[in-house]
Amino acid sequence: MIENSFNRRDFMRVLGWGGATVALSGCGNTSVEDGKEFVTSYVEAADYVIPSIGTYFNTTCAQCDAGCGIMGRVREGRVLKLEGNPTSSINKGKTCGLGQAGVQAHYNPDRVREPLLRNGSKGETITWEKALELIKDKIGVGAGEVAFLTGGVSGHTKVLLKNYLDALGSGHHYAYEAVSPAIIRAANKKAYGVEMPRLRLDKAKVIVSFGADFLGAWVSPVHFAQQYARFRKNAKGERGVLVQIESKMTLTGANADRWLAVRPGTEGIFALGLINGLAAAGLSVPKDVLDLVRSYTISRVSKDTGVSTEHMDKLIALLRARSPSLVIAGSAAEGYAHGSQNAAAINLLNKVLGNVGKTVEPPSAISFPQITPTTGSRSALQALNDSMAQGKVKVLFSYGANPVFTAPITMKLKENMKKVPFKVAFAHYMDETAVEADLVLPLNSAMEDWSTSVPEYVAEGAQLNIQQPLMEKLYPGTLGMGDILLALLKQRRPDEYKGYEDFYSYLRGAMVSIKGTLGKASESDDTFWDGALSHGVVKLKDTPISLANKVFSGNLALPAPFAEDGGYPLHLIPAVSASLRDGRNANEPWLQESPDPLTTIVWDSWVEVHPKTAAKLGIVEGDIVEVASKSGAIKAQVYVFPGIHPDVISVPLGYGHEAMGRYAKGVGANVFRMLDPIFDKETGELAMHETRVKITKAGQRVIIVKDEGPAGGNQMGRKIAVRMSSEKANISKEV
Amino acid sequence: MSIVNLLGNWSDFRQQHPSDEHKHLEYKWAMSIDLDACTGCNACSVACYAENNLPVVGKEKFSHGHSHHWMRIERYWDNDGREFADQGAQFLPMLCQQCESAPCETVCPVGATNHTADGLNSQNYHRCVGSRYCNANCPYKVRYFNWYDYPTTENVWPEPMRQQLNPDATVRGKGVMEKCTFCLQRLRAAQSTARTEGRSVRDGEVQTACQQVCPTGAITFGNLVDPEAKVGKQWMQQQVELNKDKQAKDTAEHASKLRGYRVLEELRTYPSVMYLEQLRESAI
Repeated sequence: MIENSFNRRDFMRVLGWGGATVALSGCGNTSVEDGKEFVTSYVEAADYVIPSIGTYFNTTCAQCDAGCGIMGRVREGRVLKLEGNPTSSINKGKTCGLGQAGVQAHYNPDRVREPLLRNGSKGETITWEKALELIKDKIGVGAGEVAFLTGGVSGHTKVLLKNYLDALGSGHHYAYEAVSPAIIRAANKKAYGVEMPRLRLDKAKVIVSFGADFLGAWVSPVHFAQQYARFRKNAKGERGVLVQIESKMTLTGANADRWLAVRPGTEGIFALGLINGLAAAGLSVPKDVLDLVRSYTISRVSKDTGVSTEHMDKLIALLRARSPSLVIAGSAAEGYAHGSQNAAAINLLNKVLGNVGKTVEPPSAISFPQITPTTGSRSALQALNDSMAQGKVKVLFSYGANPVFTAPITMKLKENMKKVPFKVAFAHYMDETAVEADLVLPLNSAMEDWSTSVPEYVAEGAQLNIQQPLMEKLYPGTLGMGDILLALLKQRRPDEYKGYEDFYSYLRGAMVSIKGTLGKASESDDTFWDGALSHGVVKLKDTPISLANKVFSGNLALPAPFAEDGGYPLHLIPAVSASLRDGRNANEPWLQESPDPLTTIVWDSWVEVHPKTAAKLGIVEGDIVEVASKSGAIKAQVYVFPGIHPDVISVPLGYGHEAMGRYAKGVGANVFRMLDPIFDKETGELAMHETRVKITKAGQRVIIVKDEGPAGGNQMGRKIAVRMSSEKANISKEV
Repeated sequence: MSIVNLLGNWSDFRQQHPSDEHKHLEYKWAMSIDLDACTGCNACSVACYAENNLPVVGKEKFSHGHSHHWMRIERYWDNDGREFADQGAQFLPMLCQQCESAPCETVCPVGATNHTADGLNSQNYHRCVGSRYCNANCPYKVRYFNWYDYPTTENVWPEPMRQQLNPDATVRGKGVMEKCTFCLQRLRAAQSTARTEGRSVRDGEVQTACQQVCPTGAITFGNLVDPEAKVGKQWMQQQVELNKDKQAKDTAEHASKLRGYRVLEELRTYPSVMYLEQLRESAI
């Protein structure tokens, strides 16, 4: 079968290898650490290093908080490409585009390389010893609290952080995530007894998603995308139906069988209307729920939400006919002052449909509470801001957050930060927050660092993710967060921590000490540790929790739909894009050049406007408009978009950096800044979708830089992307 | 090579599009993409940048159409005048279709693009003189020209970003055309290993970068000659034949439709990429 004829390409390849070996031996990263270069023969190569052969090492993706397992291809001491780690239950060998760009965070030319101390408006390079000494001094001076601002934290970083704050006595931890589903978590806790139940998309026959962009940027998108594939074509060859209800089309909405544009804020009303309709169609609904939804008739709900009675009837019939279903409350539903009530109404619909226990499953509890995730919220930043405004904070640490970029202008965060005598930023880039800091401490990249983490959403059982270095540090002046915390702890509790030479030895010791509880007591320490590193994940003992059973616990009052506001007639939806999220990844050029899936726009912000609204305002594509709220204004180009409610405009988050690096700075406009200070009534979280705006033409017009051709998404009668009605196809016979 | 030899054994030198007389011997690389599974998330596109050393050209050059995304997601709307795109978008991952009878090949004045024995439309960067005829003649618009010398262009691969470049793939200089190779470097490595072990590449042994990353597993890739390969089974089940420009099933009268089709097949390009139509529920 195999041809043995001489293969020219194979021959060239062998020659090429020989050549590459000679060429590469002088330019590896073998000794970046000490700044010298050696020409080292590969006769003495480190284990696994075979010239030209890539070796994969498992670690954890740090691009977002989903905690996907990844494996990095390492060749001649450099990490080249990331793939998904098949042994991680979260992403099972897959990644997203954002995850792919992790190497660009590592090799980024704009990384901070040495500790910098403020001297007037400039940063002066200092040594780590001096930097740590300075922190010790500043903490020792005066009264007031030491505030530690972080993103979501878990694992051993969390343990050390807590121990450090305990050691200080006056330490406060503020966990802040600019775009976290904090209101949904609170609503879920009330409805199901847990903040994040497991959603089994793959078991559902119908999914009704209220603005949950689970294929794009919501909670754990790579995991959900894999479940979605099985939902669309399950083992029996059946195809699930996705209905998305939101005011601005998300990536998930673009994949829905039916995308229903609701008036902003009426998601909860829509859910109660469905319960009413389902009860009328024969679904058994508890009496107290019936009393609650009695006034939400189809005709009233249709009028309030703007969805036709025909589509409501069809959806009700579909939910009656196909079970189990799954109802998801997402960021579109939670973005209002009544966001908690919206989410409660949506969760109520899910319970009435009997989905709890079928498509909503309990997560596993982890037996080590000290490493469980501390998730962030927007209210944490409010609390910190209040403290700073009152001059209570003497030292501020900022890690894994960029509040100067993500805080609305009305918070006056930048001004309040000036009241803090000493601000320390742990940073990868000189981002907006680092620029304001007095001391900037450069962090290792995720590809150079040790850490462990427990993601908020774990698909199966309980697992601890391990992050390990894939290559030597690019810069000798950076340090891992674990090492920094350990050094800070040694200042406070030297006796307790002096035995640990570095974070690695601490981590290894901590992991090895729990091997017994993981059922690995018989393994030697080395075997256990090597096994953990080679898998990249450690399965923890999980204890199942049960979900709350009670369907309804009273107290649900939805406000009437928004009244018109003549001065600010439009609702602003700040969109969370799968690539840029809250803007922390904006300096990775692959992401800037990766077209937005829906508009195909690159390298800039845009304002999505419905064709009807655009016609009314006399706006065409490419017009530069000023979008003004009561709190602030931005300018951006208009994209006329058929996936948005006419009363709504949408601008993506993550753009508009004033610092950070060459690929992020000056690209687009920052919509975080102009959000109005309106908060969810129950949780106190900033209501992201509450801002009302007006738009006016700024008098300029540009040609939008986008991937879409001049036909603007029209196939011009050619058979390019083809769609058929599901009843015609027989996917059960497909391979 | 004498002219007598060339003319006398023309069919051996000229790779033809396959027919019953000219079958692929060992390998015929092919792909299928399920548009009902594709969510348009762009992961494939970014993975392609990482694997194949694609330059990031920046806003200005992008606006001139100089972008280098070998794998791009095309997005279409229903244009029937409805108020909202209420059945969502139609996403189509568009990459080189590795045509068996490629329009780009016949117009190259220097033979820089030609067909390999394993059914790839290859691009020889060393031979390319940059006439761009191939690009003009490609109906899928999947060929990308290096208008600039990107390795030396500011902020394309600044230090230390160039350390990420994949040594198994080339870095192209100014004046050459480039395109999707079906991750040739991965194919050749797998073929080489298989050859050493005296066997053919097994199904699943080699994945393209876009296939490996795809969160929904929408992309299937493999060897059409291998009867065990999933991609071949899909093509067969969907009754899409590589060497036809009209599929028999499209003219048949039976009601239950198969989803497989090839883009612009009627141009007689004989593409090696089959798409499966997107589905939309009729009950809602």
